[in-house]
Amino acid sequence: MTILDIALKDLLRSFRSAFAVGMMIIAPLFLVGLIYLSIGGGADSASSLPGINVGVVNADTISANSPLEHPLGDNIRSIFFDESVASWITANDYADETSARAALDTQEIGVAVIIPSAFSDSFFAGDDAVQILIISDPTLTFAPQITENMVRAVLDGAAGGGIAIQALIERQDVVDPAQLSFALETYSAWFINFQRDLFHNPAEAALVMVAPSADNETEAPLQKMLGLMTAGQMVFFAFFTGAYSMMSILRENEEGTLARMFTMPIQRTSILAGKFLAVFLSVLVQGIVLVVASHYAFGVNWGAPLPVLLALLGQVIAATGLGIFLISFVKTTQQAGPVLGGGLTALGMLGGLFTANIAMPEAFTMMANFTPQGWVIKTWKLVLAGQPLAELWYPFAVMLLVGVLMFAFGARNFGKRFV
Amino acid sequence: MNAIEVKNLKKSFGDLQAVDSVNFAAAQGEILSLLGPNGAGKSTAISMLAGLLVPDGGSATLMGHSVTADPQAAKASLGVVPQDIALYPDLSARENLVFWGKMYGLRGAALNQRVDKVLEIIGLSERQKDRIGKFSGGMKRRVNIGAALLHKPDVVIMDEPTVGIDPQSRRHILDNVKALNKQGMTVLYTTHYMEEAAELSDHIAIMDQGKVIAFGTHAELIKLVGEQTRIDLTLNTESTVIFDAWRNTQGVSRIDAENGTVTLLVDDSNLVLPRLFEAAAQANVRITSVDIQEPNLESVFLHLTGRALRD
Repeated sequence: MTILDIALKDLLRSFRSAFAVGMMIIAPLFLVGLIYLSIGGGADSASSLPGINVGVVNADTISANSPLEHPLGDNIRSIFFDESVASWITANDYADETSARAALDTQEIGVAVIIPSAFSDSFFAGDDAVQILIISDPTLTFAPQITENMVRAVLDGAAGGGIAIQALIERQDVVDPAQLSFALETYSAWFINFQRDLFHNPAEAALVMVAPSADNETEAPLQKMLGLMTAGQMVFFAFFTGAYSMMSILRENEEGTLARMFTMPIQRTSILAGKFLAVFLSVLVQGIVLVVASHYAFGVNWGAPLPVLLALLGQVIAATGLGIFLISFVKTTQQAGPVLGGGLTALGMLGGLFTANIAMPEAFTMMANFTPQGWVIKTWKLVLAGQPLAELWYPFAVMLLVGVLMFAFGARNFGKRFV
Repeated sequence: MNAIEVKNLKKSFGDLQAVDSVNFAAAQGEILSLLGPNGAGKSTAISMLAGLLVPDGGSATLMGHSVTADPQAAKASLGVVPQDIALYPDLSARENLVFWGKMYGLRGAALNQRVDKVLEIIGLSERQKDRIGKFSGGMKRRVNIGAALLHKPDVVIMDEPTVGIDPQSRRHILDNVKALNKQGMTVLYTTHYMEEAAELSDHIAIMDQGKVIAFGTHAELIKLVGEQTRIDLTLNTESTVIFDAWRNTQGVSRIDAENGTVTLLVDDSNLVLPRLFEAAAQANVRITSVDIQEPNLESVFLHLTGRALRD
């Protein structure tokens, strides 16, 4: 009973602290809210993604002996001016790179696509020296990636056509250059139409960009992306809460209330157990609030309840364990600042919490496996992808093991100091 | 059975012998003061009694329970008022008392009744819902004391509970101590204010440099200095000639000089003062101020250690 009394007192204090509530609940929701607004206010209104202003400099030309009737640059340009994307892309032509850069500087456009002269010939000749340049406003995230993706898609189509024509030539089934040109143009037209279908709204474009291997294709992609971002924020702040809540023992040591408890007829192990329980409950309450609030406020679809509960439990265990472990090495609340600010941020970055929606290089993904945060976000990704419970047991077991081990080390350190 | 019994208690921190073979005892229902300057070892001694520090040697019992062999029973009979405020500033006075009451094992109606009673004792019933952080220093001190009284302890240890508070709150606390004592609680009171020790205590243990250098009632301790009067003099110049002259003056038993003030212990100030002035005139030294103090604990401490208590 004493253990619970201590834990409930700590919870009461935490939830009376504006800073604690701010960091536990408000900050993650606020950040997710900003992301939610920045991508147009939610998954169901994906078409309201803020418009992309693209400037195109098309200096591409073709040589007299080119099999193409029109430069490839025209195809690339046309896809930004196509009426199928007019609802979310505003495109303008610019004479040269200088004027496009000037437009970028004045924020008339967010992205500039610079197609150099003789690009088509170089492209089909396999000359990498001549490349399309995409310049963007550094404050933008989606627009440059979507633009690059669209350009790449057109080029992939052209390259595919080129390979097909080359194969025809080598088989000598077709010898008429005019027919070759016709075949290439037909193929390109088909591919561009295909891309138009793909890009008929920004949500589909974003899908191509952020989740090319998404399993659940029926779900709105922005909703999925928002879910991943929310999970990343939630995990980051859960670990913050774990460490911050455990800091209460340092605060109580400095306030003298811990010493006062030690003068009372309570086992010191009970006092420590109460503090540990408070950390667990704080992270649990935070997780529940964030999952529920993000679902109702931003429409995040977390998936089936049981996998969510399992992931949440794993998150709570891992965050509690790491919080107790880290703070057990800290002597004062002042020392705890860098641990909370620097240590958890670094671990969060290594764990991939801030890049949860982006396919990262394999080395980075591997590195995440060495952080508790990496396993927690991995579990949430599985949950958000609608994976069955059976797929979650392995990462859950890792979280459990890591959490319990760190708790054991931390509890031992605290025991040495206070018991 | 004594409520508090301390025998040969020892505690050192590295090379520092903070408490050096200390002995004292308090019968049930009495107030015992530990009087001494800062660093005398008072807080270390009571920290061992409260179970915060483990003694290096000796023994200590509270209501017959050893603080080392049976700490839970000893703690159950004890209420500790720490020197610094040890409360939760973000909880109200009542929430603080309820929490501390639970830590003493109180529950339900008994807890609520006891909290009500303690709030009444410390005079804060009207402010019970206000957060501690909004209280004045004196009010915090009162809650700090109240938290130690919730379980009606047999022994209350108060570690300098009046440091840094206004006279009104100080008076309130001293009156509370007396009232608690009348209800039968044994109080171990540490202070460096001799007036408080003199006003409250049945017995006083004077501590210095980790040792109890004197123990007794107020009257018994005063007798140690032979009921001598203390005279503080300031001079217009430092002069070894006048010090030697005064040291040999009839009726002067002790002379010390520090920070421009000369302190003398004399048998009868009426007889000695004219001799002091006469000697000063002969040595061509001017006395610029005179302060006469009747015998008190300050003079006892000075007599025993050669230093003022406030040092």
